[in-house]
Amino acid sequence: MQNSIMMRSRRATVVHRQQVTPLHTQLRLRAPEIANLAAAGQFVHLRVTSGADPLLRRPFSVMLCDPVEGFVDLLVQNVGRGSEIVALAGVGQSFDLLGPLGTPFPLPPPHAHAVLVAGGVGVAPMIALADRLSRTADDHHITSLFGARTEELLCCWQELAGRSHEFLAVTEDGSLGEPGLVTGPLAGILDVPDPETRVVYACGPEPMLAAVARMCAERAVECYVSLERWMGCGVGACLGCVVPAAHPAGDTSDATYLRVCKDGPVFAAGDIDWGASCL
Amino acid sequence: MMTPVDLSVELAGLTLQSPIMVASGTFGYGTEYADLVEVGALGAIVTKGVTLEPRAGNPPPRICETPAGMLNAIGLQNPGVEAFIRDKLPPLRDFGVPVIVNVAGSTVEDYVAVARRLAEAPGVAALELNISCPNVQAGGLHCGVRPDLTAELVAAVRAACPLPLITKLSPNVTDLVPIAQAAVEAGSDALSLINTLVGMAIDVEKRAPVLANRTGGLSGPAIRPVAVRLTWEVARAVSVPLIGMGGIMTGRDALEFILAGATAVAVGTGNFVDPDVTAEVRRGLEDYCRRHQVTRFRDLIGAAQVG
Repeated sequence: MQNSIMMRSRRATVVHRQQVTPLHTQLRLRAPEIANLAAAGQFVHLRVTSGADPLLRRPFSVMLCDPVEGFVDLLVQNVGRGSEIVALAGVGQSFDLLGPLGTPFPLPPPHAHAVLVAGGVGVAPMIALADRLSRTADDHHITSLFGARTEELLCCWQELAGRSHEFLAVTEDGSLGEPGLVTGPLAGILDVPDPETRVVYACGPEPMLAAVARMCAERAVECYVSLERWMGCGVGACLGCVVPAAHPAGDTSDATYLRVCKDGPVFAAGDIDWGASCL
Repeated sequence: MMTPVDLSVELAGLTLQSPIMVASGTFGYGTEYADLVEVGALGAIVTKGVTLEPRAGNPPPRICETPAGMLNAIGLQNPGVEAFIRDKLPPLRDFGVPVIVNVAGSTVEDYVAVARRLAEAPGVAALELNISCPNVQAGGLHCGVRPDLTAELVAAVRAACPLPLITKLSPNVTDLVPIAQAAVEAGSDALSLINTLVGMAIDVEKRAPVLANRTGGLSGPAIRPVAVRLTWEVARAVSVPLIGMGGIMTGRDALEFILAGATAVAVGTGNFVDPDVTAEVRRGLEDYCRRHQVTRFRDLIGAAQVG
């Protein structure tokens, strides 16, 4: 009954809160079981209030885990009534967390070159992955690209930079790092021959993910993306968070849609139909 | 030692160990919640709607949060009755609680074919006829809004299938009572009420409907007063057992339906909010019975009085 231990809702108390940008808050919660079990790419489903409004839980990628201290860090982007309640939570306040849920990032083979591409708040699972990779004995080489509209939205960039061998910030307005989009420097990296296996991981706005997926497909580079959707249950029952599935050659599944909460949130980029209008 | 409370109820020829069920579409096929919920403690499981052929469902976005509720337009995504019987039914059976299969379709013939097939499959306790899903173009809604069409559908399934029949009613009508009566006269052994209320949300930044289906079914605590009122009205008009549902999250919520005349209740959207919700409802019912010296829960059915 390993699973019954893995997936239970638990109270988690805020032990530290940091406003990292005007829009983003980093919350550290005491959640020992989740800290122990969560793998990079997985999420927790957080109940915002004990009342009925806002009603639905909110999914948050696990950004960092400290299994020794029993801490889990979440990055909260204050975009609405639910996330505002979470973002404004003070130390000592507690939330009901369900998790860890969803699929983790598949780790690259030993000595591989991992290229992490983050956009905005999508940096959270990239930090988790960089942290995981930097702790293996597999001698991975980690290059991270982090893009945002402007400098002040490059939330927690130091957390990603500190866990990468190379790090490049990219802002659309050029206020920090390279001006433009992350796809520019990504092309530069992918177009240089590399003796090691390259694996690209990405999380961020959907146009960015679609572009990264296309660039990797064109170059036959393995690519994994983490998607975000409104969710109902978070455990695969309600079918509310689906995305259109692609059917690459050799795929025998006949699924039209994939559940972000259960089949994802991490997908092989080729499993998603990036061209579908409803994505 | 606390006095044990007898929570069992009789419904459509079934004895349920508890009056607490889970509503169709909110509990998948049971296995999704197996690690989180003591499924064996439920009164019954009602499955996600099953159709004759597989259905892909609606394009996303399919859900949207609303005040104390949510809109959904899943569109009956399901693998079809054959795959349901092959893949979903065996693990459902293993939970050891009655399995009520929600049946949906576009034509009377679809419903009859699915019902026939399910009647042959071991381990189906009853059927719940979804004559009221608001999110599919054909069938669904227009059948559940007219007494004559409701009667035609129920009678056809009744003639084709010996399983107990529960008809799930739509609140999206002017007067639910004649439709409820038509379902009962045509052979329905029990009624479920209510399905979701048709609603809509608009993204004001994009100036477009939030849901790809434009409209969706509203569920959650926001609809509870409507559901309680309809349970009250229908309970006074028919003599078959009712399964009340709509925004139940606590024992107190469930008791509103029971006192209004429901024999059992189903928890729907609440499962998403808190997987422990059915256990919480159960504790609430037991606590209420103890506080009011009620030893048999079923004595509370329809016990609300007009003062």
